[in-house]
Amino acid sequence: MWSVVKSVLAALIGVQSNQKREEDFSSGRPAAYLATGVVVTLLFVLLLIFLAMMAAR
Amino acid sequence: MRSRWWWLIAIVLAASESQAQSNGWNMPVGVTDVSSDIYGLHMTIFWICVVIGVVVFGAMFYSLFRYRHSKGAKAAHFHEHTSVEVLWTAIPILILVGMAVPATATLKNMYDSSNAELDVMITGQQWRWRYEYLGEDVAFTSNMSTPRAQISGEEARGEHYLLEVDEPLVLPINRKVRFLMTSDDVIHSWWVPDLAVKQDTIPGFINENWVKINEPGIYRGQCAELCGIDHGFMPVVVHAVEEEEFETWLAERKEAAEQEAMGVDREWEMAELLERGESVYQAICSSCHQAEGQGAPPAFPALANNEQLLSDVDWHLDKVINGVSGAAMPAFRSTLNPVELAAVVTYTRNAWGNETGDVVQPSEVAELIAQ
Repeated sequence: MWSVVKSVLAALIGVQSNQKREEDFSSGRPAAYLATGVVVTLLFVLLLIFLAMMAAR
Repeated sequence: MRSRWWWLIAIVLAASESQAQSNGWNMPVGVTDVSSDIYGLHMTIFWICVVIGVVVFGAMFYSLFRYRHSKGAKAAHFHEHTSVEVLWTAIPILILVGMAVPATATLKNMYDSSNAELDVMITGQQWRWRYEYLGEDVAFTSNMSTPRAQISGEEARGEHYLLEVDEPLVLPINRKVRFLMTSDDVIHSWWVPDLAVKQDTIPGFINENWVKINEPGIYRGQCAELCGIDHGFMPVVVHAVEEEEFETWLAERKEAAEQEAMGVDREWEMAELLERGESVYQAICSSCHQAEGQGAPPAFPALANNEQLLSDVDWHLDKVINGVSGAAMPAFRSTLNPVELAAVVTYTRNAWGNETGDVVQPSEVAELIAQ
């Protein structure tokens, strides 16, 4: 689970080591990456909304 | 090695010099707190960019020179370096967030038009500005006063060529003034660099902006949104004065407006109307219909010897008051008062060889507008 989250976060900033990528493609299930990706993106959007609300206060 | 540093110092000194003087190479510091905030923000980000530029290009040129082929340098072959990649992703993120903090604070302040002590409605029109001091019964249009002869090259250009108006917007210093900005026809933009205000005026919308001017003075600007043939001929002039001076001015304007309102009911002499009408015509009408009423067909019809116009005074009044839909002729019912409307119609019917002898009274016009 943690390794999936780490891979998704790495994808978010666009940096990933080759070795890790190969591990991801050989082991985990694609659905787990997709679901984590959606959740992390939503969290990121919520974080931005929160920051914008803080700034607008 | 030493010469490289000399260059850097020379560039920094030259840039600081221009920062101190704001000598036309840079944006003005302006005369409001917001304008100096914007200037400070601009300079902060400029210097961040300078540092990034020096570091990035410095590293690049140093590497190009130090590891050149003629000295036997061999390229390293490696595919990835995760920690370097993370570093060059993280540093720009930090820089961008770091720049976003002061930028957001400034923007927030710029858009906070609450608690204003004076409201001024600014309306863009082809091609003039109309200013209305809300709740004060004072309103007027501000037209460019540069003579057409200077534009056509028949006269030498004046000091404030294309940046001078018949009636400037008068504002008090040290007081927060809110602008409510809209347009009667197309999109214009009210721009005064020294006040750091550049706001689109859009028909059907009201945009807000505000200023609190710190120093008395005359500040000039222009329409900044291409709005038609005379886009370049609708300058903005703001006259910032001490608060007492502003109060005096406002009281005078109010009294003049009352006098004008009283003038609607009385009978006017033809000569008075002709005199008044000529000044209205030259300020408002002549940019399209030309100084001698010759027009510029087909867009702007001639008024001199225009048979339809001369034969039908009601038709003439209707066009001036209500405009011509689908054509460039705007409705002047709210821009000009009944005295001005009556005067300009009377003038048009009795100038440049038009000899109808018609006299239109302000009271007649007031009735037409009320209908």
